[in-house]
Amino acid sequence: MLKKIMSLTLVFISLFLVGCSSNEYERRDDASNTLYVGSVGASFPTSFMPWLSRDGIAPTISSMVYNTLFTYDDNTGTFVESIGKEWYYVSPEGDPILTTEGNIDYDELEAVYSGSDESYLVVKIIIHDDIFWHDGEKLTVEDIYYTFDIGTNNALSNHAGSLAWTADLQHSYSNGVMTRQGIFTYDHGANERGYNITEEEKDTVMYLHVNKVLGAITSLFSTILILPEHIWEPIVTVDNQLNSKEPTAETLYQYQHPVGSGGYKLDPENSNAQVITLVRYDEYHLKDGLDYLYKVEKIKFMLFQEQNVAIYALLKGHIDILDSTVSSNYLSLFDDREDIFVSNADGIFTQTLVINLNPATSEKNALRDLLGISDFRRAIALAINQEELVSFVLNGAGKTVSAGLLSENLTDFYNPDADILRFDLEERILEANSLLDAIVPDKDHEGYRLLAGERIKYTILGTPGEQDVISRLQVQLQKIGIEVEFKAKGSSPERTYIFNSKFDMTLQGVIFSLENADIMYRAHFVTLSQSSNYGRLTDSVLSAKINEMRLSLNLNYKYELLQEIQELIALNYYKIPLYTSNIISVARTDRYEGYIVVEGSTIFNTDTLQNLRRVEG
Amino acid sequence: MQKSFIIKRIIYAIFIFFVVLTLNFFIPRLGVDDPAERYYPPQGNMSDIEYEIIKQVTREQYGFDVSTFKQYTNYVEGLLRFDLGTSFRTGNPKVSTLIAERLPWTLVLSVSNLVISLCIGLIFGTVAAWKRGRWQDSLLLNLSTISVALPAFFIALILSFYFGFELELFPAYTNPNMVSQFDWSWEAIKVVFFNAALPIISMSIGGIIGYSQRTRNSVIAVTNEDFVLTARAKGLSQNKVLFKHTLRNAMLPIVTAVGMSLSGLIGGAVIIEQIFNWNGMGTLFLEANNTNDYPLMMGIMLFMSTIAILANLIVELTYSLLDPRITVGEKR
Repeated sequence: MLKKIMSLTLVFISLFLVGCSSNEYERRDDASNTLYVGSVGASFPTSFMPWLSRDGIAPTISSMVYNTLFTYDDNTGTFVESIGKEWYYVSPEGDPILTTEGNIDYDELEAVYSGSDESYLVVKIIIHDDIFWHDGEKLTVEDIYYTFDIGTNNALSNHAGSLAWTADLQHSYSNGVMTRQGIFTYDHGANERGYNITEEEKDTVMYLHVNKVLGAITSLFSTILILPEHIWEPIVTVDNQLNSKEPTAETLYQYQHPVGSGGYKLDPENSNAQVITLVRYDEYHLKDGLDYLYKVEKIKFMLFQEQNVAIYALLKGHIDILDSTVSSNYLSLFDDREDIFVSNADGIFTQTLVINLNPATSEKNALRDLLGISDFRRAIALAINQEELVSFVLNGAGKTVSAGLLSENLTDFYNPDADILRFDLEERILEANSLLDAIVPDKDHEGYRLLAGERIKYTILGTPGEQDVISRLQVQLQKIGIEVEFKAKGSSPERTYIFNSKFDMTLQGVIFSLENADIMYRAHFVTLSQSSNYGRLTDSVLSAKINEMRLSLNLNYKYELLQEIQELIALNYYKIPLYTSNIISVARTDRYEGYIVVEGSTIFNTDTLQNLRRVEG
Repeated sequence: MQKSFIIKRIIYAIFIFFVVLTLNFFIPRLGVDDPAERYYPPQGNMSDIEYEIIKQVTREQYGFDVSTFKQYTNYVEGLLRFDLGTSFRTGNPKVSTLIAERLPWTLVLSVSNLVISLCIGLIFGTVAAWKRGRWQDSLLLNLSTISVALPAFFIALILSFYFGFELELFPAYTNPNMVSQFDWSWEAIKVVFFNAALPIISMSIGGIIGYSQRTRNSVIAVTNEDFVLTARAKGLSQNKVLFKHTLRNAMLPIVTAVGMSLSGLIGGAVIIEQIFNWNGMGTLFLEANNTNDYPLMMGIMLFMSTIAILANLIVELTYSLLDPRITVGEKR
């Protein structure tokens, strides 16, 4: 019997050994212009319908294979050309609203539309005339019409995402019947509507009716990836919707063989659940814009499910770039490695301490009543030492943040007057204690403040990964006699704690930018029900300013209001900034050079792709 | 074996299956927010009415537009047709298709692990018991202590870094084209086992030590039985005493342990699969979890639970076959 067992064991061991051949790490011997990108995640998608495939790496791939109308530059607050070459507002009669220099005349826009009975703004879009889909078909405004139209028609596309993205477009359907037209091209009634489009312009000019706010164009311009009409129109019917639960074989084929207009094409034959291969699209219409635009001929995304393994794969030369944020704890691994480029980019994600200042009636108690007092919250905000958090929690790889919660890098919009919490720490602690002495003067023998004889103690909801920062806050708030402790938020904190006010404080990451200002400020500071306004702030002045900012048709005034909003946010001491962590990512320099560090991005970003060059030899 | 005993065990297994099925349906829903709000928060300047329409569309898309009870009956009806539902992934593939694609790859690891652990464990355990108190026995005891302190995922990382990245004896992670290029040729099979080497070794170390300990203890217990003493007194050779009398009788608890380990055959390799990029059931479950793909999560959980229930049933029935006292006990 022992012999049988030993034989079986030997058979299995032999199987491993016969398998032994040399390890094949493709990149090592690859002399071609192929960039190997490591991506950390659970799996790669094999379908690339850009509206539907939103998980993991899918949006990255979709954004390289497809294009939006424009892209948004957050630093300048402007839209950059993509499929669209030019856009501007026009009057309801179709007259351009431009300054003599050719810029949008916001004063004129406000003058024209404030007194207008029309409930919409009219936007004229001119697209490039040299764009071709990856299968060679010409891209025209009819593709954009088709994309926006099907996005609003839930008989053909029962897709919540597209309905949400097109919510600001005044083009709608009811049960498959158009009830309002808000997209106009030469072939779709533009001239009948009074918008003059000539025969020569028919492929490149279109008009949109959008809601009467400046932010209405944002998701239409920079979120919706444009689909090819000639591919989808013959397939999509009421019985076979764009996002059918039981797609036909032809629909599935199109999901897996996407035809886009972006700088790269998917190579389905060399892609699977663990590798995605993109090949440069040599007819890309923006290829001549910069000297080094998209010099990389092929990009291979390789999946790693475990980050440590991915980092070692980079160190050992199995990949060129790791498209993933690396913890600052790993930085020492790259010391003295001349073949590794470390990108330490400024982050755009601010960690805040959110205070439950207006709990639902059933969740009110004496301790939470204290959190409703502005001076009490100011004391907490003053005691928080952001420099120390950056140093200890982020190992120095981060920045402090203004109480106005907008990044200092947005130099034109950042308001230094909102930065009211950054002064000498000792002075801050003194002021904090003085404020608290006026509210809760009694202390116990350990120096903690008392309320009705009981120690003032709050819990902070967080994930296990956030215990570090909460421990540090525990030490910092001890200096003003307030005890806090960690409480695990679990897998569904909104339902369990946050939306029903069952918490004292919690951590929340926020990103406020020019692009999302219309949506995010309202969600974080105005909306009360089930929104990002976790502590249910009700500040009528701030709410009015946010609404005014959203509805203003004068961009310059909108920016002024954004600055005022920052100050009001700071004075509420409601979402108290803790830090912004840097985005650390790494790449190898032995095959490629020209990496560009971009705020808020890993080293695998559009700027890098435009600049990368293969190192000779 | 009593018929009534078999019928009782089968009815009990069916009852457990329905309990599991019900929990499997309701527990994930306890943690689910309205998927409409999760996937599409309010955007732009949409009105509350527009947002409600969007939420309703999302609920329809994910099957949350009917009552929970109706969802449950739909789910049970589907199961009666062996339909585990459709995944939320693009293209809505059948859950059963996704499981069928990944199951063989997990079985490569888990079956290999089971066979290697069992075979080597039996050898080590028998030798340690036979050489009780000598260095072979001490070695096993010391290894047991160390293995408790070293979880499989830690061993996997060490093996990946040392034998994979540093020495390059085996792949540090799975060849990304292994699955897509598999064609049942001898070359492809070799590639699979070459890539599976480190994951299987990582999983087997604990298993080998576990089976060794069980075998050792069982063999020692049997060695002290009267019939073994009798065999020795009869002047039988050491090998005959060991293999014919001792080991055969010591196998009962080992068989039970093997049966019990079948229940962990599918789900026991989640972290190992993750470390080695092995495209099996474990990573499928992680994907489902990361993307809130509840039908897929429920399908995998139900599949694993069913395997566990079946494994337990088989063990109980086999045990009663091997040891008739169990059936007698039922009868009484």
